[in-house]
Amino acid sequence: MNRTVTTGVIAVSQLVLVGVGVAPQLSARLAGDTYVVRVAPVDPIDPFRGAYVALDYPDLRHDDPQSFVDQGLGALDDGESGDLYIALVERDGVWTASEWSRERPGDGPYLACDDRSWQIRCGIESWFLPQDEARETEELLRGGAVAELRIDGRGNAAVVDVRAP
Amino acid sequence: MSTPGSSLATRPVTPRQLDWLRTEIADWTSQGIITEDQAGRISTRLSARYPAEHHARTSIGRVFLHLGAGFVGVGLIWLVAANLDQLSPVTRFAAVAALWLAFLVGGEVLASRHASAPLVGAVRLLAALGAGAVVFQAAQSLQVPAYEPRLVGLWAAGALVHAYLTRAYLPFLVGVLAGVVWWFMQPMWDSSNGLTVVLLMGAASVLAAGLAVLHDGRIDAFAWTWRTVAGGMALLAVFVAAVPDIGGDGIVWSAWLVGALVSAGVVAAAAALTRPGPTALEPLGAVVVLVVATLLGLWTTGTDATDVDAGDWAHAAVSVLAYVALAVALVALGTVRDHPPLTWMAMTGLVVFTTFQSFAVFAPIVTGAWLFVVLGTVFLGTGFLFDRARRELASALDPDAGPSPESGPDLPKGTDR
Repeated sequence: MNRTVTTGVIAVSQLVLVGVGVAPQLSARLAGDTYVVRVAPVDPIDPFRGAYVALDYPDLRHDDPQSFVDQGLGALDDGESGDLYIALVERDGVWTASEWSRERPGDGPYLACDDRSWQIRCGIESWFLPQDEARETEELLRGGAVAELRIDGRGNAAVVDVRAP
Repeated sequence: MSTPGSSLATRPVTPRQLDWLRTEIADWTSQGIITEDQAGRISTRLSARYPAEHHARTSIGRVFLHLGAGFVGVGLIWLVAANLDQLSPVTRFAAVAALWLAFLVGGEVLASRHASAPLVGAVRLLAALGAGAVVFQAAQSLQVPAYEPRLVGLWAAGALVHAYLTRAYLPFLVGVLAGVVWWFMQPMWDSSNGLTVVLLMGAASVLAAGLAVLHDGRIDAFAWTWRTVAGGMALLAVFVAAVPDIGGDGIVWSAWLVGALVSAGVVAAAAALTRPGPTALEPLGAVVVLVVATLLGLWTTGTDATDVDAGDWAHAAVSVLAYVALAVALVALGTVRDHPPLTWMAMTGLVVFTTFQSFAVFAPIVTGAWLFVVLGTVFLGTGFLFDRARRELASALDPDAGPSPESGPDLPKGTDR
């Protein structure tokens, strides 16, 4: 194998591996359906860290009175950790959580999440914003906004837009 | 027979090698093996063909090339990183990918033009690091959690593909380091307990020992690294297994743990089957370490340092014996294989292990002091016997291995820059 072919094989192999690494999110963006959920900034005083905003989902959050996690998607607090799934139902034009489960739902839209860290994460907790749009979007989030998610058949999700309801 | 051209060719060597050779020539002359005249002619030839100054110039050039390439690479990455928040996720990914591709292609172009080895090595190193940057930047751009172990595993796989296709050592080193991190991160991601760590370390040692044997004579530099990993993992496995009550929770089986053990077993079996004879002792020895470490880990005793009973003593004694046996085996392997890191790892590990067993496991200082006295006596006896047996052991296990002052500056067999 000459050096040009070898270099090409290395480059393609490594790009394929990159694709494998981001396959769930890529699948959600390319093959997912669109769902709209209510969204709020995690910290109403200073939601912007760098060019990202941390997002909170009031209708997806698992509120447990025993839980010490008071931000983001909350925590399940069932003594386990690992994969978990949030089943979604539509209410008044936005999608909300109907059930949290360790078993993958048989059908219907759901989010594939993970709570191996201290809180539930579904890959939709942050949103990129260029600096010049940051201030405008901050006002938008304070006034109430919705996030447009793409979710594929395996529950992989990606945020594709944050806008006024 | 050498041609006139070849007799004039020079070959860079280290000053230490030259010193060693001159000392040997003086010894041969004093013992009458060669005459004074022959010694004089050899010395003249040495000065002409192996100029130490040439090596010094090469070394200085090598250092500057490495430093220069490193500074340029880090500076470029720094420039991009400093301006990342001005870029959109897609642009960020494109910028990082462009840098990675430039390093990858640049390294191979330089290699094809026979550029200096340190320069090629430095650019290939940047390409291997850049592959990791591309993986993590893609993850960040698409909001994949960056702490997921599979990202580290994919980086390791990419670096190893680069290393094996080009026989490049520095990408190999990046791949092995990332791979070792992934080896532990991935199974621990689902379930973490003490005995899982012991099993993973033992399995890593078996896998690396098998790979070292499989690489011997094909890609020697890679074999060297796999052997170092195998020795380090074996020492760590027994060290962790000897911590009292480390296996109190038993073995928590997971698909990743089973996969790790099966892959280690397959590689060890392949090594033993394709390289039968004394070399097969390496992976088989690692299997013994895995079994002993697991049994030690499963042997639970009390953790109360103020209440040391017979069971605790027996556990500590067996642990120390196991560790001493492993250290001696690694020192022997290091000598036979001319692999100094194995020797110093074993010695360092033994000192740290003894100290840990003495002062951390059993609080009473007097007990620890006696442990040192007994072990010191054992070391003195072992050292005396080992020194006498070393040459015979080396020739018995590896008849082709001759005395060598240190490895030469040439590239190891099967390796590119």
